Amino acid sequence: MPAIKSLTLPMTEQSVRELVVGDLVTLTGDITITAGLPTHRRIIEYMEAGRPLPIDITGDTLFHLGSYSQETDGRFEVLYMNPTTSTRFNSLMPGLIRHYRLRLIGGKGGLDMACTQAMQEVGCVYLSFLGGGCPLLTDAIQSVVAVAWDDLISHYRLVRLRVADLGPLVVAIDSHGGSIYEQCTRTAEERLPEIMKALDAERGHRVVPSAATKAPDEVQPVR
Amino acid sequence: MPVTYDQVKTVAAELYGSALKKVPEDTKAALARAREAETNPVAQNVLSMMLGSARRAEEASRHLCSDAGIPTYFVKIGTAARLQGNIRQAISDGFDHLVATIQPPILKHVTNPLTLERGYKGKSMPLVSFELVDGADYVEITCSPKGLGAGRWAALEIFSFPTLDVIERYVMDCVLKAGSQHCPPVVIGVGIGGTFDYCAKLAKQASLRPFGLVNPEPILADMEARLLDAVNKTGFGPMGTGGDTTALAVHIDYAASHGFIPVAVCFNCWINRRASARIYDDGRIETFE
Repeated sequence: MPAIKSLTLPMTEQSVRELVVGDLVTLTGDITITAGLPTHRRIIEYMEAGRPLPIDITGDTLFHLGSYSQETDGRFEVLYMNPTTSTRFNSLMPGLIRHYRLRLIGGKGGLDMACTQAMQEVGCVYLSFLGGGCPLLTDAIQSVVAVAWDDLISHYRLVRLRVADLGPLVVAIDSHGGSIYEQCTRTAEERLPEIMKALDAERGHRVVPSAATKAPDEVQPVR
Repeated sequence: MPVTYDQVKTVAAELYGSALKKVPEDTKAALARAREAETNPVAQNVLSMMLGSARRAEEASRHLCSDAGIPTYFVKIGTAARLQGNIRQAISDGFDHLVATIQPPILKHVTNPLTLERGYKGKSMPLVSFELVDGADYVEITCSPKGLGAGRWAALEIFSFPTLDVIERYVMDCVLKAGSQHCPPVVIGVGIGGTFDYCAKLAKQASLRPFGLVNPEPILADMEARLLDAVNKTGFGPMGTGGDTTALAVHIDYAASHGFIPVAVCFNCWINRRASARIYDDGRIETFE
């Protein structure tokens, strides 16, 4: 198992540039999250109008994490959080990365090469969170620092959280143009001719076990 | 004693809740085997976290994923079972009850496709399909809360007299298109034949099949084994950050068709949400994964 790097937020450009794809990291400090497409559009409206955001993300973080934030007597509590698919925001992220000089972004599923290019320019990395990781990721939340745009549904809000040892997360895109996603796609495409050849060659030759297994129709419920 | 509105309402709510909080036993075992077999250190770590998340969700009664999906139920009605009350309404009311009572609460994912407004209700929600089982003395309900992460990548194409290699190539194309984005390792459901609508349902229901069963059609049993190897050679790995485990299983079903033959492919993410129950005519309720 590779060593896990403990990162303290906020991070400088220099320390972000020391990270490379495949690193495992944990985060301690304050992060900003949202899972909403409308939120991203609103951030861009603010950016274009030169208006300050209710939560400043300059030189900071913006993670694609959805959260259930519950308000009681004006105080917010985050009951759980979990990543959403970042590729949904591909077209919007390069502008945000450049304008706010984001240092750490992330979610799950990755971002495209236009985003990777913007990240390389400003010194930013993309972290992969475990989808379906609510129980572990939520345990890292220490407190809710701020909740903005609560006219939006819970997972679309812009939320600032204080976290301790959030992770481990995988550095999946680094600030040197390296992207695990690009690498995986390229590898899969390169391997595809061989994979198809093996599928053809083995057709009809796979031994299928029969003794220890049942046909689907025979399956009985348990309990 | 017939199958009642109250039973169906209770079961519809409970199945949804348990699917959100518990990874099926067969799936946990498959993840553990994958963890042992993985050669990629990052993938080993991701698989360990998956197993840890599954354990913690069960222990603490927590949701695994923030995307609670949209409510989808498959109902099989035994012709020897008697029904009492509005069974379709019971499922709808069961989901409403879940929304009102589940802890922690779930987020709004039911989306009006015309306005993109989100809530807990909407036209035709929950999505329920019914079929008959001749002679059975039970009503069987399967719940599959479908989230965006894996739901987004399902696809269907209609071919004209495709050979097996064309079908397999299409499955691989869908796998490459989903790439790193559907929370792998996934369960892949494939439907072959029928019509446009029937084929999609075959794929979806195949994806919900328990692990370890042999496909009774030898051509498909062979195809399942070969495609599983093929998908895992792509190297996308757990959460798509590289590794040997991109799929836990490939499950295929088919129906006779015309010469225009649909092929449907869908994915269930690693938490493999599925929960079922049978409510018997004598009042017994059995649940299974």
